[in-house]
Amino acid sequence: MKQTLRYDQLSCRLQVEGLPDVSIGQSGDAVGIITGWTLQWQGRPELEGRREHLLALMQVVLPYARDLISGVVRPRGTADQPVRIGPAPEGGGHRLALRSSQPETPPLELPLDDAELSDLVRLLDQLRLDSRLQMHLDLPTPQPLRAREVMGRVPRRQRLVAPLGGALALALAAGLGLLLPVPPPPEPPPAAPAASEPATP
Amino acid sequence: MPDPTAASAPTRLPRRGLERLDLLLLCVEALDLNGGEAMVWMSEQMGFTGLFPNRVELWKRRCHNPLRRTTRRGGLDPAETDALIRILCALADRLYPMLRALLASAEPEAIRQQRWALFQERLDELVQERMNARREGVQRLLDPERGAAQRRQLIQALALGAGTGGFERLRASLGDPAV
Repeated sequence: MKQTLRYDQLSCRLQVEGLPDVSIGQSGDAVGIITGWTLQWQGRPELEGRREHLLALMQVVLPYARDLISGVVRPRGTADQPVRIGPAPEGGGHRLALRSSQPETPPLELPLDDAELSDLVRLLDQLRLDSRLQMHLDLPTPQPLRAREVMGRVPRRQRLVAPLGGALALALAAGLGLLLPVPPPPEPPPAAPAASEPATP
Repeated sequence: MPDPTAASAPTRLPRRGLERLDLLLLCVEALDLNGGEAMVWMSEQMGFTGLFPNRVELWKRRCHNPLRRTTRRGGLDPAETDALIRILCALADRLYPMLRALLASAEPEAIRQQRWALFQERLDELVQERMNARREGVQRLLDPERGAAQRRQLIQALALGAGTGGFERLRASLGDPAV
């Protein structure tokens, strides 16, 4: 029997349709096979696709959100993938690009603000945590970033202040040290008088 | 089938992570006037009474933030940090409509500015009351211009980490190395 899972947020609604995978003994209200999904945005075209498109959406949006929590804005997805997301070129938002599998259909680009992106992330979280969805989703586990990935979020000027300040302080100390007069070499101690003069004939 | 809610092995948070965790909890208090009470209530509701038997114990864990006026040395047990993050995610979920309203660009500019000003005012009060004002990080957060990006980043982190689904994202982010 066909099942419909529906999740709502203020700006969007996700609807996933599927069937229980009876070959592995799933019950009637479970979804083990996704047959289609639609994502409705307020005042925007409706998106729809197959299971692999939904998975691709989750595989780029959730890691992008994870990076944003660390203050790192890093585009996710490549030109040959069905879904890409990255910062909006004009600044102050994000751009979700969806490439259609239909020939001669131009890619759809959706500008999202921070609130709409959060809504989308919450929808995808609701879906992946729904106990009725009983299928493996190949999603990466969030991990702490590496030091060089975090460094990108610190402005270069701020990053260089400490090492440049240290180098400057060292150079100043060395310069001042060179200006100090070299202390004269210590006087040799006066020669001790001979204990006994040799007797002269 | 793997359980999607299952968390990966807990690890000890670095000092920078403890600092951000406490600042995020402070933002919750700035958004909700009863945030402190809500934190204790949520801890009880989520079954963390064994870890934080009372508000003093909860407060003592938060004092591991190095920016605090009275800071505590040492790190926190991974079970304690996980519990604090779970409480934070649950509180952020309750406050999500407010977080969303702060982040939405569709709202009129005047209303957005008013909301941010109110949030900044409350956060500044809490920061001045509890944090060491001689620390550069505190001065930056209190600065109306320099701190604006950091305040927005904290609100965005709360919005993206809200709810059960946000727990692993937020925990991974708090485990970032300091640079």
